[in-house]
Amino acid sequence: MSQVLHPIEKQIIKSLKESKSSTPEKLVESTKLSIDQVRRGMEWLKLKGLADIQEIEKTFLRLGKNGLDAKNNGLPERKLVNEIQEGPKSFEEIRNVLKSDFNAAIANAKKNDWIQIEKGEPSSKISLKGKALPSPEEKLIDFLGAEEKLVNDIEDIEALTLLKKRPDFITENFTKFKTISLSEKAKDIDVDYSTGAIDVEAKVPVTYVARIHPLKETINEIREIFVSLGFSEVLGNLAQPSFWNFDALFTPQDHPAREMQDTFYLKDMKASKFATSTQINQVSRSHKKGWRYDWNMSEAQRMALRTHTTCVTIKHLADNKPDESRIFSLGRVFRNEKVSYKHLAEFNQVEGVVIGKNVTLRDLMGLQEEFYRRIGLTKIKFWPTFFPYTEPSLQSMVYNDRLGKWIELFGMGIFRPEVTKPLGITKPVLAWGGGIERIAMLKYGLDDVREFYNNNLNWLRSATKCQ
Amino acid sequence: MPVVQLYLDRLQKLVGKKSNNNKILSKIPFLGLDIEEKTKEYLRVEYSPNRPDYATDFGIALGLQGLLGIKKGMPKLSIKKGNYSLKVDSSVQKIRPYVTSIVAKNGILDDETIQQLISLQEDLHFGIGRRRKKTSIGIHDLDRIVFPIKYTTVTKNHKFVPFDSSNASSITEILEKTEVGQQYGSILNNSSKVPIILDAAGNTISFPPIINSALTKVSTKTKNLLIEVTATEKNAAEDTLAVLATTLQAAGFQLFSVTISGANNSTPLLKPRKIILSAELVNNTLGLNLSSSMIANSLRKCRIDAVAKTNKISCIIPRFRFDIFGPMDLVEEVVLGYGIENLKPSLPTSISVGQKNAITKVLDSLSLIMIGLGYTEALNSSLVSNKIQNELTNRSNSEVIQVIESKSLEHTILRDAIMPGLLENLSKNVHEQYPQKLFEIGTVFLKANPIREDTHLAGISAHKDTNFSEIKSILQSSLKIGFNIECETKTSSNPIFSEGRMANILVNNKIVGVLGEIDPKVIDNFKIRVPVTAFEIQLSGLIFD
Repeated sequence: MSQVLHPIEKQIIKSLKESKSSTPEKLVESTKLSIDQVRRGMEWLKLKGLADIQEIEKTFLRLGKNGLDAKNNGLPERKLVNEIQEGPKSFEEIRNVLKSDFNAAIANAKKNDWIQIEKGEPSSKISLKGKALPSPEEKLIDFLGAEEKLVNDIEDIEALTLLKKRPDFITENFTKFKTISLSEKAKDIDVDYSTGAIDVEAKVPVTYVARIHPLKETINEIREIFVSLGFSEVLGNLAQPSFWNFDALFTPQDHPAREMQDTFYLKDMKASKFATSTQINQVSRSHKKGWRYDWNMSEAQRMALRTHTTCVTIKHLADNKPDESRIFSLGRVFRNEKVSYKHLAEFNQVEGVVIGKNVTLRDLMGLQEEFYRRIGLTKIKFWPTFFPYTEPSLQSMVYNDRLGKWIELFGMGIFRPEVTKPLGITKPVLAWGGGIERIAMLKYGLDDVREFYNNNLNWLRSATKCQ
Repeated sequence: MPVVQLYLDRLQKLVGKKSNNNKILSKIPFLGLDIEEKTKEYLRVEYSPNRPDYATDFGIALGLQGLLGIKKGMPKLSIKKGNYSLKVDSSVQKIRPYVTSIVAKNGILDDETIQQLISLQEDLHFGIGRRRKKTSIGIHDLDRIVFPIKYTTVTKNHKFVPFDSSNASSITEILEKTEVGQQYGSILNNSSKVPIILDAAGNTISFPPIINSALTKVSTKTKNLLIEVTATEKNAAEDTLAVLATTLQAAGFQLFSVTISGANNSTPLLKPRKIILSAELVNNTLGLNLSSSMIANSLRKCRIDAVAKTNKISCIIPRFRFDIFGPMDLVEEVVLGYGIENLKPSLPTSISVGQKNAITKVLDSLSLIMIGLGYTEALNSSLVSNKIQNELTNRSNSEVIQVIESKSLEHTILRDAIMPGLLENLSKNVHEQYPQKLFEIGTVFLKANPIREDTHLAGISAHKDTNFSEIKSILQSSLKIGFNIECETKTSSNPIFSEGRMANILVNNKIVGVLGEIDPKVIDNFKIRVPVTAFEIQLSGLIFD
């Protein structure tokens, strides 16, 4: 059996084949890898089932503060013995030397059978009993010295128990250790130590790419299509006087679409210079004639957030009066709607306009078909519809395979003479457009339009760019 | 868009024996009706607000008869001379000057017909009636009324039993206590006298535009109807009446005139109009080459009378088609009659060279630079909430631009900066992997005469090691690589940033933006748990005019 292994893994396996069982520290020595590399390698081998790793806990001992003091200066009982080496001394004399250690010294010296006490007046005397050979505790202190020792290496457990009872003589330290050995599976492996091959199947961390917003991708794609169809882009403000958003498009001032339920008006904002006096006079006359009411200037001055991009294209046509031109306008539009999975208060719209002496409704349908073909929608049909500023008006329907139904997409029509004539536009104007989010939803398979503006990083980082 | 419910059995009977449900279903969309819901028994269809005649199955049946070729040409109104009269008192002139009326007899009103008429009435009230302000309609049981009737005014003490009530109320009580009174009372502008229709017996028939009387309530037992329309504009009143008359005639009623006189009012004639349509306009607009007779036939399928002459078509438009302004509207009728499905798409032959706007190009380049610097693009609304824009960010803006009566709390003011939206984005992504780096290019709004729109770029970086130097370096690179612009940063103060760790961005000694480390309190307000740095710079005037 052969498996691709990382060089680190190979070195660890090699070392383990020699020593059977090892620890990370020993592996550092034998393989010359860093401790981090050894630890990583051990993890990898464990995950691949090539190594058995066991964790054991070990207890280490060393002398505490008082223990070290006893090592250098002797235990209290040894100090006592030293005091009476030259001859017996009274309790008082000894107590003056040993102070607080006195009681412990007497008790332990008696236990070791080093001393005897002669009762007398005014004071009892202590004298040496024999040679006072080193006690087991003294031997253990010597054994421990200044080093840390594994508890398993200590033979005289009784002495250890006694020393532990003395305050601050012994400190314990528990440490976990890993040992590693090759698993049964690893024993069958042939390791090729010669190549630099790595485990190409191993999982790697995710790298996130910085990118354009997916909705922007669709916007850019649509812009490119318009340009490739020969259209030039015009830009305009998002806040517009009602004049360009409504009046210039023959929407009467008392029309329900102009009410606050549908349109965002800006509080206390009125436009002052927004059109030429000819434009204003002609538009107002067209309203009076067509809708039979008194057109009101101050209503036309009210600033609103544009409800469509048509206000930009119509102003461009009115100001420039081209005989032949293809322009488009793309950007945010606003509707005072309750936000839901279907509706946003602010979304993107594109609108294309063709003006020319000989342009026809069939041309408008053909441009539409071509546009859809370029975004990959081929099953389309046209239905009649109504827009206040176009006549005739059509609605395009496209078939969506995922949803299994026809979806209403862009609307289109030819600007009404009531719109074009007052603004001095003499040639027919084909116009079409609609919301971009709807197309982007089809593209990204979304059912909730709000997702485009949630800026959920998980989605931004993972949505497929090219589809 | 308004919606009407159509029971298929009923509709099929109305359209006629030669039709069937499949034919009807296939033609419905070509009347401009969107099918919203479809069951075995009924359809719910959306119709265009310019066609109130489609508010009932009677009107839709008239349209279908045309497209299916069962009945073509104009549905002519047959109005017999009636022995009814309505006198108008001049006192109505200041408040609601016009009234028009017609009688419809010998019909059958089942529950569904009443339902259809109510929805027609509601549509007319909303659309052409402008929520009853311009026109309002009363439909009454004719047999309860003693003629002649009078359209006049009364004081607010006047009492009668209003519709759906059994007790008499005064006008004041109706205006103050009933739902319709509260909703529509403002139309009367607090006038001390209000319009009223009284019959010869002194009974109140109607209090327009608010409510009818209980006396003349229509039920399934009613056979004969009086229709009255009061209005602020005479044409609108007669347009409304024309739709009602056409619908009632289609529903099987016989129409009788009501003689109206007094104070500039007159008996409605509901006469059709004549428009001459040139075949050239039709063919040039549609890109077709139809003969005049073909055009005339298409128009007749749309229930318009049309007679072909050499190059012209003489058209007679029924009064209820007030959506037709002129010849171009007739061109659309030709399309519908001819069949959109028969129109072959073509491409215009002219050659034209397209181009992106120069500003779009510059902004696209800038986006690519930000992406190259590791920043992901975010998109946020320009209509934002004060809470996120100002409260959570510690910013203050005395020049906030508000929208009126927004339906959504998240969309009440126009943004004057992009950065708060990016902070909100970070706040929604605290569980995602760091570092998080976002940018947005968008429009911000400032009060000017009346409003200035600038394009801004903002970038934001959130991770445990982010600091002023990092964000300054990003800013510098984007301007330098993109536009060879050198910028300086000079200390300043702004409550969104930490004191001493923020600066103004200057280009040629002019302040064009801000950058810095976001204040820990602001970070906390957005419930973000890592340090955040950001910059925002005004692009208008800097990289384009």
